Amino acid sequence: MSPESGGAAAAVMNYVFPNDLHVHWSLMIVLYPYITGIVAGAFIVSSLYHVFDVKALKPISKFSLLFALAFLLCATIPLLNHLGHPERAMSMMLTPSPSSAMAGFGYIYSAYMVVLILEILFIYRPVVVGLKQRASGLMRLIYGFLSMGSDNVSQKSLDLDHRIINFLAGLGIPMACVLHGYVGFIFGGVKANPLWATPLMPVIFLLSACVSGIAGIILAYYVIMKFRGSPIDLDCVRACVKFLWGFFILDFVFEMLEIFSHGYMSTHHWHTLESLLWGPLFNSFWIAQVLIFSVIPFIILTWLNLFKVGDKIIHIFAPLISFMIVIQVLLMRWNVVIGGQLMSKSERGSVFFHPEWLEKEGILPAIIIMLLPLVILYGLGKIFPFSLEKKPETASD
Amino acid sequence: MDRIRAEINNDRRAFIKKVLNGTIAGSLLLVIPAGASEVAEQLSGMRAEQSIFTKKRFAFIVDVTRCIGCGSCCVADKLEYNVPDGNYRTWVERYIIDDEDNVYVDSPDGGLGGYVEPRKDIPHPVRDTFFVPKLCNMCKKPSCVQVCPVGATFQTEDGFVLIDKERCVGCGYCIQACPYSVRFLNPETKTADKCTWCYHRVRKGLLPACVNVCPVGARKFGDLDDHESEVYKILHLPHVVSVLKPGMGNKPALHYVGLRREVV
Amino acid sequence: MGDNHNTHVKWVVGFLTMAAILGLIVKKVLVPEGFGTYGHYRAGAILDEFNRETRHMTNDSCLSCHPFIKEMHLEGIHRTVSCEFCHGPYGDHIRNGKKVATLPVKKGEEITALCLRCHNQIIRARPKESIKMITMPDHLENKKVQTDHNCDQCHNVHAPLMYVKQAREMMHMSSREDK
Repeated sequence: MSPESGGAAAAVMNYVFPNDLHVHWSLMIVLYPYITGIVAGAFIVSSLYHVFDVKALKPISKFSLLFALAFLLCATIPLLNHLGHPERAMSMMLTPSPSSAMAGFGYIYSAYMVVLILEILFIYRPVVVGLKQRASGLMRLIYGFLSMGSDNVSQKSLDLDHRIINFLAGLGIPMACVLHGYVGFIFGGVKANPLWATPLMPVIFLLSACVSGIAGIILAYYVIMKFRGSPIDLDCVRACVKFLWGFFILDFVFEMLEIFSHGYMSTHHWHTLESLLWGPLFNSFWIAQVLIFSVIPFIILTWLNLFKVGDKIIHIFAPLISFMIVIQVLLMRWNVVIGGQLMSKSERGSVFFHPEWLEKEGILPAIIIMLLPLVILYGLGKIFPFSLEKKPETASD
Repeated sequence: MDRIRAEINNDRRAFIKKVLNGTIAGSLLLVIPAGASEVAEQLSGMRAEQSIFTKKRFAFIVDVTRCIGCGSCCVADKLEYNVPDGNYRTWVERYIIDDEDNVYVDSPDGGLGGYVEPRKDIPHPVRDTFFVPKLCNMCKKPSCVQVCPVGATFQTEDGFVLIDKERCVGCGYCIQACPYSVRFLNPETKTADKCTWCYHRVRKGLLPACVNVCPVGARKFGDLDDHESEVYKILHLPHVVSVLKPGMGNKPALHYVGLRREVV
Repeated sequence: MGDNHNTHVKWVVGFLTMAAILGLIVKKVLVPEGFGTYGHYRAGAILDEFNRETRHMTNDSCLSCHPFIKEMHLEGIHRTVSCEFCHGPYGDHIRNGKKVATLPVKKGEEITALCLRCHNQIIRARPKESIKMITMPDHLENKKVQTDHNCDQCHNVHAPLMYVKQAREMMHMSSREDK
């Protein structure tokens, strides 16, 4: 009854089209929206300070931009590793098809990269100019380049920078939304796939992006401060947790709304989804994503935000919740990207998928790719000081 | 004509370039030796087609009521293209409907080995069984062409949806977008691959390999402008004719005679 | 020293302009020849597909060199069966008009397996009007032959009823199959 398995997909249920035995988009394509989501989310955190004037977020406002950049620099790695012909990747920029949702990625990604790098350079310019004066040799050369060829830190010059920073941060918000909403649309626009094809997909992707970015920043902030032995700014953490809660409410509600409305209408469409959600996806969706990593953090976040909780409790739960939510978003990406491909277009069956550790797009390469942004972040920290500590005001702020 | 021929002999490469860049009206068949010229044409007038796009309106029709599930088409297709194991440009499905309306479908190895055994796992008496060959639907509104980010999948003016092996990046988006799952990532070339209705054969006046080998005429291919052709008669006279997944809006050019509602 | 409060902004604008111009030049140079002539694709791809090797030919092309088989095959009920289905593609046999290899001829049980791909009654999915169906080993038992017989011991694979008809003529029997 069951045809032979292909690739890592196995254990076929009912009838699956013979070409549907392969899961073509595997771990790498799970990581791609995960990474761009973290980028978009981290940028939003910085914008909350720079554009929306949320003063409490000041300690992490610069760091979150570097955090975003570190991940953005790695966003194309899983894609390149996935492509059958990575050497032809530039064709996406040379001959982008106007009708293809995917073709815009090269340009949207590049434009966003430019905005992010410029914002970092303008924000850090006074710091960089200061560091340049103290540096020598290679570092002096690097800082010379990063100061964009001007040592002028006069008030007039800084005022100009400030206007530019405001403009870039403002421009960056719609661009971050476009970057990630667009990634959601790459999936949401595939009409042949009943799990993906929903106009809600870009919205869900965007909200989960914000959530993963905020949670990622909280987590990184805790790790770095613990490592440095510096005191943690509780006002900042409390503000982050509040935003995390807010975005997570929206994110979780929309994720469930999508499922609920299909279930309530119970069309043919739903029967296809039902066999997936209660079949190969049951553990990773209902048990892991929804029950453990959504409901529990949701309850804890509600408690942290609605009741007066002590500093100690915040110190325990903020990083824990952030960790859980970072995992939740990863699970969500997995369930969407892999899940969608487990249903055959025969509408009569699905396959199971188990990633291998050592294959080209396996678990080990995935782990390496996820560690890479952290290495880059460490390197960026050597050039641009994170300024996480609440220091006496310096000229740079 | 002689002038063109002289120009070709003079500088073949330059001539091909001009055809491709559209600076002169393409005369592909003058440039490329047909190869199959020793064999009689199965599609009349094809070898006289000079331009880069033929003037014909091709139709492919599968007659579900005739298919005997022998798998000749699958074998011919695999050998014509050396399709790597586990991937299918075409396949044949077996449908079994029991008297409780349950539908059982299978297609072991795409029907490549034929159907030699009856299914033994049907709990109720069987009402009906039949075979359904599947291949590229050559959609008039192909979602694979729509989503290809680099223009490596395209639709010719005479209706063929083809793949540029030299430019495909192997992203797999077209595979996700095809509602009929006729596409696969060729493990040898690392590019998307699918049925072409045997474009290379058709342009040389031969029938698609699967049509050519079908012993019972379950697969039919022809020109709709030829009013004597079988495909014209089927599509212009009353027949139970339909397409797969019409709700997808892809407008397949592949038509089925005697298709049942159960077939997806 | 003049007012240089905005030198870095000019520097950035200049840098981005240069990058954009460079990008446009690179794009101009690298877009493949023939791209966009007929649509958003490389026109040469049509030629590539056109030039794909044709591995299967037609029954005519096979039979033009095998006149003895031709006589049998075209007379019999199996005239719609493709030579290449049982023997393999023409391309494995003839290249550039020259014979490069001999195609296999199926023997014994392989033949029975091939026959049953089409004629196996037990599959039930086959329209009766199009081909004859038999059940094994009932067919052998009904015809009173040994059950280890292969199909080609009674049926010529090219013209399945040839021997049957000949035998009937010899025995002066009328034959159902003639009609």
